[in-house]
Amino acid sequence: MSQDPFELDVRPLLRGGSDPFQAIMNAVDSLAPGQALKLIATFRPVPLFSVMAGRGFTHQDRPLDNGDWEVLFTPEGEVDEIRLSAGETDLDTWPDPSRQLDLTDLDPPEPMVRILATAEKMTEGEVLFALLAREPLFLYPELAKRGHKWAGNFDATGETYRILIRIGGGRTHVGA
Amino acid sequence: MFAATLSRWTMSYFAAALIFLVLGEIMMVLGYGHPVSALEAPETLALVHIVVLGWLSLLMTGALLQFVPVLVGRPLSFPSVALPALLLLIVGIASLTLGFVSLSGTIDLPVTLLPLGGAFSIVGFSVPGFAFAATLWHARPLPLPARFVAVGLAALLATMLLGGVYAGVLSGLIDAEGAIDLTIDGLSLHASLGLCGWLSFTTMGVSYRLLTMFMLSPDKERASSRLVFVLGTLCLGLLAAAVPVVLVGAFGRVPLLILAVASGAAVVAIYVGDILRIYRERRRKAIELNSRASIGAFASLIAATVLFVALLAAGRLDTGSGAVIYLVTFGWLTGMGLAQLYKIVPFMTWLECYGPALGRMPTPRVQELVVEAAALRWFRLYYLTVAVGTLALLIGSAILFRFASFGQLIAINALIMEFVRTRRLINVPAELRLPDGLVRPGLFLPSIPHGGSHEPRSL
Repeated sequence: MSQDPFELDVRPLLRGGSDPFQAIMNAVDSLAPGQALKLIATFRPVPLFSVMAGRGFTHQDRPLDNGDWEVLFTPEGEVDEIRLSAGETDLDTWPDPSRQLDLTDLDPPEPMVRILATAEKMTEGEVLFALLAREPLFLYPELAKRGHKWAGNFDATGETYRILIRIGGGRTHVGA
Repeated sequence: MFAATLSRWTMSYFAAALIFLVLGEIMMVLGYGHPVSALEAPETLALVHIVVLGWLSLLMTGALLQFVPVLVGRPLSFPSVALPALLLLIVGIASLTLGFVSLSGTIDLPVTLLPLGGAFSIVGFSVPGFAFAATLWHARPLPLPARFVAVGLAALLATMLLGGVYAGVLSGLIDAEGAIDLTIDGLSLHASLGLCGWLSFTTMGVSYRLLTMFMLSPDKERASSRLVFVLGTLCLGLLAAAVPVVLVGAFGRVPLLILAVASGAAVVAIYVGDILRIYRERRRKAIELNSRASIGAFASLIAATVLFVALLAAGRLDTGSGAVIYLVTFGWLTGMGLAQLYKIVPFMTWLECYGPALGRMPTPRVQELVVEAAALRWFRLYYLTVAVGTLALLIGSAILFRFASFGQLIAINALIMEFVRTRRLINVPAELRLPDGLVRPGLFLPSIPHGGSHEPRSL
């Protein structure tokens, strides 16, 4: 999948005197599998390099003409193959996730229950992003039955499974 | 894109397997087979095949129908073979058992029943075995647990080939000298490849995946687990290599078997270390009953290995091998099987029944399909009877063994009743049991597709 880097400009936050760290981490969490992060800041954010390396990202930094810095964080290593729902080819048209769930500490099948419950509350076209400790093989058929699309893979460490779910229309109802 | 679906006939395999287990227990209570008869007596062979083929191998086949696709992330090749294979196996195992009973002279049945039952069983296991092998072949490179399954399948094939030869010789159909040598000298190879290769090695591989999943332990492949795989494969390869050695003469057989025993003992030691680590590094603090009840199985595996090595060292294997085989079959394999059924049955039932309703209406949790306190005491009784039964075999007390088997029969029937309560949703709070539009799953047959929400093979 070739996907444009997600661009985050933290210069307004820095100029306003606030710490952009949380905003950066939120952006990292919402990256699609394999997607890079382009960060623009007023200084070269050296402490961030080791933090991002710990999360499996390499960096390339370059100064901009006006003295600001641009850093491209790219997920390193062999990116795990992305699992896509049937018929889905173009993730670029998907909107940014409107809901995020961290389900890595739940026992199976609780992550599946939470995802399906959250999906029911969302409207068609919205995207849900979830982190899990295992690939949710038994979730896929339920998503397909409900008309949702998905894309997912393991992160660079191979320990966390990330999945994006786009809510579909034409819901079928139980017993219908 | 692979999506795991419920295997349609797995629950039917489980039901047939449990019926064979109860039959086997009744035979033991009645004193049919060892220790009342000799270990090689036809009565014992009838009992052994009821338990090892009817119960353990049907259970394993049914479980693999569900788990092989999950292990490798691919749909099962040739999924439609499950039902015909089950029917062949029920007929085959029943005929094989009757063939042994007839061989004992108790009843007079055609002598061809034995090879015919053997042939049905071989075809019955080969068909799903081929489907598993094809699935694994297409999924290369295989993750470690799936490689255990692949070796287990190879051991199954070797076991069946030897078994086929014995059935031919015992019924008089085959009279080649080599085949007769193999039957007299190689019976222990057939038993070892079946119990240690097909059943134990496959169980080990699947347990790596299941235990880490149920207890949320790290499931990265470790060097020690790979060593278990390599040494285990070596051990089984040595056992298989003993077959041609038996055919050409006894020379070289002893060092071969000593090496196999040494690698087998090392496999158990390293495997148990891995299992301890999985329990210790688990992220969920409370251990569910299926994982608790598995501890008895691991303890039995250790005990059986220690007992075997001790008997071998003392030169008393002849008198104690019955106890070792019993401990492996009932303590380790049956204990593990019953413990894992206690999780697999509720999970499959829950997904089949409530999957379509998840997120749309209140649904019970998987744990609400079971009552652990009730089942716990039956698991305790079960392992107690295994310990008493082993002791009875070691001291040669047939009456104590039958008494232990009676307790075991009660424990197993009580656990079967727990599975039935789970399938029938009896433990689920009434207000959550069957919301509108949901269908109660069949007891052990697949339910008829209903309203588009129960098609088990929709991908």
